[in-house]
Amino acid sequence: MIVSLIFALALGLILSWAGETAEPAMKDLILATTTSTQDSGLLDALLPLFEKETGYRVKTIAVGTGQSLAMAAKGAADVVLCHDPESEKNLVDAGAVINYQLVMHNDYLIVGPPDDPAGVKGKSSVEALKAVMAGESFFISRGDDSGTNKKELSLWKQADLIPSGRKNYLESGQGMGATLQMASEKRAYTLTDRGTYLSQKGHLKLEVLSEGGKSLLNIYHVMQVNPEKFDRVNAKGAKAFVEFLIATQTQKMIGEFGRGKFGQSLFSPDAGKSM
Amino acid sequence: MNSVLAAKDLHLVLNGRNVFTIDNLTLLDGEVMALVGPNGAGKSSLLLTLALLQTPTQGTIVFKGQTVSRENLFSFRRRMALVFREALLIDTTVSRNITIALRIRGISGHEASIRRERWLERFGIIHLARRQARQLSGGEAQRASLARAFALEPEVLFLDEPFASLDYPTRKALLKDLGGILREMGMTAVFVTHDPTEIPYLATRVGVLHNGCIIKLGTVQEVLGSELPDIKELSLWPD
Amino acid sequence: MGVIADGFKEAFRLLVTLNDEVLGITLRTIQVSGASTLISVLLGIPAGTVVALNRFFGRGFLINLINFGMGLAPVVVGLAVWLCFSRYGPMGMLDLLYTPTAMVVAQTIIAFPVVTGLTLAAIQSVNPKMRLQMLGLGATRGQYFLLLIWEGRLGILAAIIAGFGRVISEVGASMMVGGNVRGYTRVLTTATVMEIGKGRFELATALSILLLLLNFFIVSVMSHLQQRGKN
Repeated sequence: MIVSLIFALALGLILSWAGETAEPAMKDLILATTTSTQDSGLLDALLPLFEKETGYRVKTIAVGTGQSLAMAAKGAADVVLCHDPESEKNLVDAGAVINYQLVMHNDYLIVGPPDDPAGVKGKSSVEALKAVMAGESFFISRGDDSGTNKKELSLWKQADLIPSGRKNYLESGQGMGATLQMASEKRAYTLTDRGTYLSQKGHLKLEVLSEGGKSLLNIYHVMQVNPEKFDRVNAKGAKAFVEFLIATQTQKMIGEFGRGKFGQSLFSPDAGKSM
Repeated sequence: MNSVLAAKDLHLVLNGRNVFTIDNLTLLDGEVMALVGPNGAGKSSLLLTLALLQTPTQGTIVFKGQTVSRENLFSFRRRMALVFREALLIDTTVSRNITIALRIRGISGHEASIRRERWLERFGIIHLARRQARQLSGGEAQRASLARAFALEPEVLFLDEPFASLDYPTRKALLKDLGGILREMGMTAVFVTHDPTEIPYLATRVGVLHNGCIIKLGTVQEVLGSELPDIKELSLWPD
Repeated sequence: MGVIADGFKEAFRLLVTLNDEVLGITLRTIQVSGASTLISVLLGIPAGTVVALNRFFGRGFLINLINFGMGLAPVVVGLAVWLCFSRYGPMGMLDLLYTPTAMVVAQTIIAFPVVTGLTLAAIQSVNPKMRLQMLGLGATRGQYFLLLIWEGRLGILAAIIAGFGRVISEVGASMMVGGNVRGYTRVLTTATVMEIGKGRFELATALSILLLLLNFFIVSVMSHLQQRGKN
């Protein structure tokens, strides 16, 4: 009967997967990182090489900065790639992570509607934010405790302003791509990383209005979750990953990433430098 | 004459309510006993209890000389058959309904075929063998239910108001057919109805139930009087 | 409108070119949701039938629990399973976090009450006299279980369709316990959410279309079976 045929087919499909999942756990490496890092596509370019070289399977868990660092603090990940040095410092000091290495940086941009009603263009980041708040245009924040969000909040602090609660300050609670879309729709301003902006540019009606300067730097570090504190981490794999990211070859690739697609690099390799 | 079913001190209490109290009730071989009474008199509950589908609060039932207990309950049930007011057919063809019932009783293959054909024929529904149960009319469905019950060749047949949901002409036709079959087979049966006019067609003995007690018990003649009862005139129970 | 039209084009292109990654994601969606539905059905139909047919102490409470479970927020289930399977959690030693198996566990927990509850309702809606008739025929417990399941099959098939629908469209728990790992635990729903987050709306639309098509196709087959059983 048809029923049994369909049933058999379904069963076959399902069982064919049962074989896939039987793999030794020490070959798995849990990498906690942020959504914007994943969204940039850099990991999609680098990880296959790492996996091929070392035989580890990297499980990239892309979540908010807060969550990825919390995972590290709990020993729920093996290695972390993040861009919030202030929060990361707490983990280093607490001994939750070791082998803390600088990897690369990119920068943030302040983008807004092409006609720039708040007159932001050319101003420094802090001055730009003040200008937006002084006017009628909206500012969209990610409001999700992400690296970008934290950077944004630190800028507000520098500007000596408290934006939350003001009627032209909106919090999207979402990823960078969605937040940019929202800003584009609402003809608003927002803080974004260069990578996401470049990849979204085609769909957005937003222009770069403020860039450059130390305050807009976005610095990436990689670190191992401390195996002495958490005995279940894959220490060997984590170490291999850290070494991979700071290796000369990889650093070169990082420097070239994005050129083909966007005409400019998305990241600047920094391994070995002091920041 | 042998006793097929004998109930002694049978008592049923449900939800605090006294459903029936029967001191003594015997069903003899080849007898068709009608249980009549107004609604709520406890007839159906008594029927179910005699059919071993309802456990009495107290009392004993003896089936063909053996006292019914937990051990033999199941096997005794398989020697009986039941027809309800709704046909309660399984959602498949008429033919398969009988086949399944027979298979439950461990009868299949050639023997099952013979019985099935025979009883579908006898109840005049052989032409409906391949029909889906849900497509049958009320009368046809009841015939199917009866055919199913008879195909099981039960030692006792129980009928709970089997004609209650049928219209007058259908009821009349089926009463005649069933009456004839019961006599022909010498079947031992108990049937419940709230309509006394059905009695002469089917029964040899009558028990009148009122408020859970048997207030009259005897042959059809004794209880109903010598004439065929007229619907309006008959008042076997008070009110 | 443009996004949706582009989404259709993209979906078509992905299918026609047999894009590896997308095919992998689609296959995995079927496998994970299929397995969860299968397990919930194997457990849920007997469970629902048993509860429907028996009287026992605490039955009312259990039915309450089942009905409550039908509306259980998937993301809550996801969190619970995550905490359970996380490395230092009670079942951490199984190393199941961020695996398809964990997703199946979470999805099964979500689908099981749905299948059980609707089966319960389906069996209860079978004429209660039917039970007496079956017993009168001399059916054993097992026999009348099966007969009642047959009688209630329309409702039970609806239970299966509902259970399946619930898990194939689920994203919160799948994301949490699966991690949306590329090539391993990424399914259509989690991939769609990710692409939306990236702002890649055409791709997200394309994936959504694929998900809807998949859902539609599978449910059509099941509906066909259900209605065939009716005629």
